[in-house]
Amino acid sequence: MTVSTVQTQAPVRSTEPLLAVQDLRVTFGRRGEESFHAVDGVSFDVRPGQTVGLVGESGCGKSVTSLAIMGLLPHRGNTVSGSAMFDGEDLLSMSQSQLRNRRGRDIAMIFQDPLSSLNPVVSIGRQVTEVMERHRGLSRKEASPQAAELLERVGIPDATARLANYPHQLSGGMRQRALIAMAIACSPRLLIADEPTTALDVTIQAQILALLKELVVDTGTALVMITHDLGVVAGLCDEVNVLYGGKIVERGTRHGLFGRPRHPYTVGLLNSIPRLDAPRGEKLSPVPGSVADNLPWDAACAFAPRCVNVVEACTTQTPQWDGDHVAGLRCFNPMGVQQ
Amino acid sequence: MLLEVTDLEVYFPIKSGVIFDRTVGHVRAVDGVSMTIRRGETYGLVGESGCGKSTLGKAILNLEPPTAGSVVFDGVDIASLKGEALRKERKRFQMVFQDPLSSLDPRQTVEALLLEGLRAHGMDTDKSATRARLRELMEAVGLPITALGKYPHEFSGGQRQRVGIARALSVGPDLIVADEPVSALDVSIQAQVINLLQDIQDELGLTYLVVAHDLAVVRHISDRIGVMYLGGLVEESEAGELYDVPLHPYTRALMSAVPVPDPLVEDTREQILLPGDLPSPANPPTGCRFHTRCPWRQETMCDTERPQLRTVEVEGATATHRVACHFAERIASGELTRHEVQPELVDEGFGPLKIDASPLSPPDAPLVP
Repeated sequence: MTVSTVQTQAPVRSTEPLLAVQDLRVTFGRRGEESFHAVDGVSFDVRPGQTVGLVGESGCGKSVTSLAIMGLLPHRGNTVSGSAMFDGEDLLSMSQSQLRNRRGRDIAMIFQDPLSSLNPVVSIGRQVTEVMERHRGLSRKEASPQAAELLERVGIPDATARLANYPHQLSGGMRQRALIAMAIACSPRLLIADEPTTALDVTIQAQILALLKELVVDTGTALVMITHDLGVVAGLCDEVNVLYGGKIVERGTRHGLFGRPRHPYTVGLLNSIPRLDAPRGEKLSPVPGSVADNLPWDAACAFAPRCVNVVEACTTQTPQWDGDHVAGLRCFNPMGVQQ
Repeated sequence: MLLEVTDLEVYFPIKSGVIFDRTVGHVRAVDGVSMTIRRGETYGLVGESGCGKSTLGKAILNLEPPTAGSVVFDGVDIASLKGEALRKERKRFQMVFQDPLSSLDPRQTVEALLLEGLRAHGMDTDKSATRARLRELMEAVGLPITALGKYPHEFSGGQRQRVGIARALSVGPDLIVADEPVSALDVSIQAQVINLLQDIQDELGLTYLVVAHDLAVVRHISDRIGVMYLGGLVEESEAGELYDVPLHPYTRALMSAVPVPDPLVEDTREQILLPGDLPSPANPPTGCRFHTRCPWRQETMCDTERPQLRTVEVEGATATHRVACHFAERIASGELTRHEVQPELVDEGFGPLKIDASPLSPPDAPLVP
């Protein structure tokens, strides 16, 4: 039951990035039809042991970013450009068989809905050992006790007996734990978690987040946390990227971004969440409009129609990224101080 | 009092057998809940999935017939009403559902959706008056008049929820039960709908029962809050007080589990992690339902006697603050401290093999199959 231990482990800034995503673009659309830019030039770095958050609402491209990095997008109907350098190799230009050697061993992913990402007709134990057999060349006999250890490690009680269980026999929280056990089976250096707690109840969410924090500290793996929940990010991530309409609009360290948010969208998001510890009786100030009002990025700021700080340049030019790999902003008229 | 719920129970039978159905047990979704809602207030019901909060909301509206207990709405016992009498009464209490896309008929325009309710209650007599009423409704929920001619799929999630609210408002109800009204929406849209619900309440003097899992949302919108765990209320209090002086261990744990978007708070606050999962409501733990996961569990009473809601003498707790815990005072004073709890296994699914087939019926209440 350790809490807030990850913060004391300062991310090592000097080391080379483990994963460097450069100008990632993902476009959906059939030939001849107008295409849709789901991810529109996203760049970010993940250093060893660091936890990086990608935050945004539905449709901002956060999940597509992760799928593109993992090479899990469908083969047809989309174009991916840019680069994702992992350990000096570009994941985006790897062949499927090269990727298969990487996935599960060096990079692992945890998905949102554990029931649909586990195989319903294969036992939990078999699904965990499969990763180890594939990547570490263990036999099933050798892998089995290790699988039990892993399940124990992620907090599944009576682990040896649970190996024979099927996913439907576990509760939602336990399924997510089993999925995490599969992900860490080969001690990956990078873990990508795509909304790992969204389908879970708050008390179970707290358990899973505590487990992830613990894993990051214990194993030194880097974590990319994709979520819509700013609260989750505030407790977990070293660096936060806020996405809107397929672009990163603001980046900062955890304390920097939440202490002094500058992009009107970040400020709007923070103001629109009812906080448990805020004084009651105050009205929320929502971000007006909806994602459907977006302008295309190529000649404007996509957020301009919903922005409270809009100036003329917002609807005529594309705001450029002003910053570096640690902090930055994409806005013509940022908020002065938090309101 | 607009609504008085007394000892409400909703049990779902678990059937087994191939040719002859045999009832082998019951899922105790709502297991003895008593509560009151005052006219004009917002009552928030929180709890995790499977705690019975949605079933309670539906049972109050008699959408799910209660197994036992009474629901007195403005002097009328809704739970015992049937047929035409119930249908007539329904215009006084309406529901807003979680997922607006599945609760709105995809083949009806918004106008048709709204007219259906008006017609069913004989409120569509004068064409121009109906026209004005529709206009008024659209204005109230912040949609343009042109939206009347559109179909549900043409709207965004937030707008659809506005249509759902307009439909509930159309027949002029006194009470609206909103079941997870914002949980399917994006954060920035959630705030819009929350504000809308509050504006409408101020304007029309409505009474709300808001059922939600998000404690922050419930606390923001409610005057009073009831916390549910496994079919029963464990704590009830004014919204502000619940946060300042949480008395039940479960409320404390729930509160500490809600992430706050502020790193300074996140780093410093105490977090109470509950072990394990929610036990099955088909086979609830004896005594206090929460004792299997409670970090303050005591050797005596917790596993044998089910605590009732009661007021306690604790600093900061007013007379309206009720809690169902044997040791609430001693926990609040710090006399009892937390201890480690080993998680117990909880099996998913309600298959007959896992259910204790011993008769579950309480001694005095006969079960309706």
